[in-house]
Amino acid sequence: MMKKRTRYDLLIHFILLSALIVVILPMVYMISTSLKPNGALYEYPPRFLPSIREVTLENYRYILGQGKFYINFCNSIFVSVAAVLITAFVASALGYVMARFEFRGKRFLFAFIVLTMIIPGLTLIIPQYELAVKLRTINSLEGLIPFYVAWTIPYSTFMIKGFVENVPRELDEATYMDGGSVFTVFVRVIMPLAKPGIASVSIFNFLTYWEEFPWANTVINDNMKRTLPIAISGFFGQHQFTQWGYVFALSAFSLIPILLVFIFCQRFFVAGLTSGSVKG
Amino acid sequence: MRISNKSKWQIGLLLLPGVLIFGIFTLYPILKLLIMSFFQWDFKSIAGQQFIGLDNYKEVIQDEYFQTAFVNSILYTLVTVPGQMFLGFLVAMLINSVTKFKVGYRVLYYLPVITSWVIASLVFKYVFNTEGLLNYFLANVVHITEQNVRWLDNRWGGLTVAMFLGIWKGIGWNMVVFLAALQTVPRDLYEAANVDGAGAVRKLFSVTLPSIRGTILFALVMLTIGGFNVFTSIKMITGGEPAHKTDVVLTWMYYKAFSAGKFGYSAALSFIITVVLAILAVIQFNLMQKKDG
Amino acid sequence: MKKGKKVLAILLTTATCLAAMMGCGKSPVQPETDSQSQETAELNEADSAGEEITINFWHHYSAQSAENETLMNVLIPRFEEENPGIKVNAVSHEWGDLHEKLLISAQSDTLPDVARLDSAWIPELQEMGILTALDEEMSDFTSVSGGLLESAMSTTRINEHFYGLALNTNTKILFYNVQAFEEAGINVPTTMDEFISAVKQLSGTNDNGQQVWGYDEPALSGWNLCPFIWSMGGALTNEEETLASGYINSPETVKAIEMFAELYSDGNITGWNSGDIPMTDGFGTGRYMMLLEGPWKISEMEGAYPDFKYATSEIPAGDGGSVSVLGGEDIAMFNSAHKDAAWKFMKFMTDEYAQEEMAKCGQIPVNRQALESDTVKQADFAPFLEAITSAKSRPTVPCWSEMDNELSVAVTAVMNSEKSAQEAMDELAEKYDALLAK
Repeated sequence: MMKKRTRYDLLIHFILLSALIVVILPMVYMISTSLKPNGALYEYPPRFLPSIREVTLENYRYILGQGKFYINFCNSIFVSVAAVLITAFVASALGYVMARFEFRGKRFLFAFIVLTMIIPGLTLIIPQYELAVKLRTINSLEGLIPFYVAWTIPYSTFMIKGFVENVPRELDEATYMDGGSVFTVFVRVIMPLAKPGIASVSIFNFLTYWEEFPWANTVINDNMKRTLPIAISGFFGQHQFTQWGYVFALSAFSLIPILLVFIFCQRFFVAGLTSGSVKG
Repeated sequence: MRISNKSKWQIGLLLLPGVLIFGIFTLYPILKLLIMSFFQWDFKSIAGQQFIGLDNYKEVIQDEYFQTAFVNSILYTLVTVPGQMFLGFLVAMLINSVTKFKVGYRVLYYLPVITSWVIASLVFKYVFNTEGLLNYFLANVVHITEQNVRWLDNRWGGLTVAMFLGIWKGIGWNMVVFLAALQTVPRDLYEAANVDGAGAVRKLFSVTLPSIRGTILFALVMLTIGGFNVFTSIKMITGGEPAHKTDVVLTWMYYKAFSAGKFGYSAALSFIITVVLAILAVIQFNLMQKKDG
Repeated sequence: MKKGKKVLAILLTTATCLAAMMGCGKSPVQPETDSQSQETAELNEADSAGEEITINFWHHYSAQSAENETLMNVLIPRFEEENPGIKVNAVSHEWGDLHEKLLISAQSDTLPDVARLDSAWIPELQEMGILTALDEEMSDFTSVSGGLLESAMSTTRINEHFYGLALNTNTKILFYNVQAFEEAGINVPTTMDEFISAVKQLSGTNDNGQQVWGYDEPALSGWNLCPFIWSMGGALTNEEETLASGYINSPETVKAIEMFAELYSDGNITGWNSGDIPMTDGFGTGRYMMLLEGPWKISEMEGAYPDFKYATSEIPAGDGGSVSVLGGEDIAMFNSAHKDAAWKFMKFMTDEYAQEEMAKCGQIPVNRQALESDTVKQADFAPFLEAITSAKSRPTVPCWSEMDNELSVAVTAVMNSEKSAQEAMDELAEKYDALLAK
């Protein structure tokens, strides 16, 4: 019995591992290409891995030697972190009020929030562009932030509302008994208890901002204000020659923060994704 | 609970930033979009936009390019949504059935999800190049094809690559969602099934799937929206070429707005897509609620 | 709960650490130029002496090119030194992006002061009313324009007014792989018939069993097709550029398109598909044997494939002669610009010094004095100077971008055997007539 079980287990591990290889193959290829000398990219026969002698950090040296990529990197960090913090606060406040209080227009507000989760964000790009013009935030890095926040509020509010509902109401009552106000409950009870939820939503938002491409590409002009995804796509001349080595070196470089966040916060990713779904 | 005036103030203050941001940056654009869709609004009419009623809508619906793009979007959704759900569910089942390395698998299978669309698209474009690694592998290593397959050069090839990318990138998300759902299936149901002498397949269909129906519907709604949201991959991989045949609704909308300058047309197009998705979502939400009620 | 706090803390610390490591402390947004350009945009003409002005200059010298290096490290520093109080903020875009960005920015009043424009865009931008008529506003316009080539300056003229200064000119000639021609034992084609047979002969497979193509064309737009249409005696429109029927669907034009389609279906030419090898790589690795390209290709090959042996020749002649397509860029200012500073910069970019510097990286000058200089006489682009004399420019009409797009859509359909060349060109003629009548 035991033996059959182990063999069965081994078979499943084998299937999982083989599928896994296929899944991570593209990423490995990206890294391996970034380690090849630029001239070898149209070599024949094409090889998955460079030979040991060939391995070079030349592409990385070039990327890191260009000051502008640091600036692009910093721009991405700045925008993403600022938007994460603002969204976390705004959406928590909304989620808290919606979970705990009745007020006029609440049903409408909630329905509207759910509805906007359905609309593909990009369809609003034209009026939002017009709005950015009016607010004079075209070609402004800070100008990206309110739009990013607005896009992620619906999802974040929806999720955080769910987390707040899981916080026992008795704790609110106890705080009110002690003379606490709505604010006190928010700061002392809700925020601390819903924190894992807020954290998971924030991580998810960070990913969204970090990789956002179409909007930033449309409104940002100056090289020095570009975020990383635009910098990466800028390498890419359709019909001229593309320096794939540089492209992939910069790509690998831009994955580092995401990987760090992911590895350290892996548990919360999952919590955030699933709580909404399991409740249905 | 009676709400004091002070509390009302505080509730209002908490609502204010969210409602304000939401109102200015989402609600206003939605209304503006609706208005623009009724006007002739393009590069050449910066000064005086003309009210033209439903003309933009007519133009969109009769436009062959839009029809192609719309069909492409639907096909993309029809292929990628079941594709990633099935594979994601399969992986989740497998991971659920092993005892070791669960976390390791989960992390590694999730990697494509956290890779940005720009990067993933570039990698796929490189791999699926006519002279790329995949064609070399197919023709010279496993000898399945005789000649290099022209993946990126025609409508079906280009869409296929985008679909591969969509599925590849989506498996991890589905895996995590279903893995969590599988934890919620009550153990005693399986035990009851065991007593009845049910096999693995019957357990899957009579116990597992019904128990996670809510999750399946949730994933279905989210992914359908996601399917119509596809933009970056198409823009990066084919750019809509050849001759706009691989455009999807959003890339075509973007082209009409920012390359051809037809803002009114694009606004009408956006609105049509929103309505289509809203209808789809309402249908799907209703399905969900039926399960609850 | 504690974990949540920790996670946020980790997230933030990681971010700040990374930021600090990368020197983000300096502030990523460069407040100096930013606030300045906004303030001054409002002050516009009111720039009093002591104040510093930043002019924004958009161009499409590609970011990693020698031209861009020269612009950033030689020309702009020198200009700023000569003109204290004026700073130049140069922004590089891709060619197609620049066109889009300009149209979008016109909507939002966020246009730069000065831009380097493909001369084919001038009519369209002029029609939008955003370009400055230089002859009306600049008192020394005539003396400046007098120093530049008349043929090149004509691309900036619309209805007797001038909306820019010519900046550089170019055209395309034939590039070919010397070794491949030697091995095949054929001569460089001088007629279209010879060209076709050479393309066929050079196509096939190489020693590795890889497909090679006799000729590469990286797109199917006017810039790509016109040399063939014209050299084979066809045309896009009539001389007045008011009518296309009878020209774009004339037997000669259709024949040129058919020639392309035939070569493509036999696997002799390629290049415009998304999955094709990019032009420079394909040429440098011996997969494409011939190209039509401009002077910039010389420095590009030098950088990417320095050991590769190639030579150039004029475009093969057909019934219409050997006619290449005239390219070139103009430098223009927008109505919202700081006009005095912008004008100074435009004059600087077209003067002898700047033109000679740019000539060193393959930009063909339009300044008469620079053309006489030794740099130019010894430059690699001498063969191009000859081709320019017979080259023609694409239609100078405001709707050219739209026409260009329709052209590639129509020809793509022919290439993929969805329509016959005649059918596609007849349909195109109708669309063109409608566009031109507007």
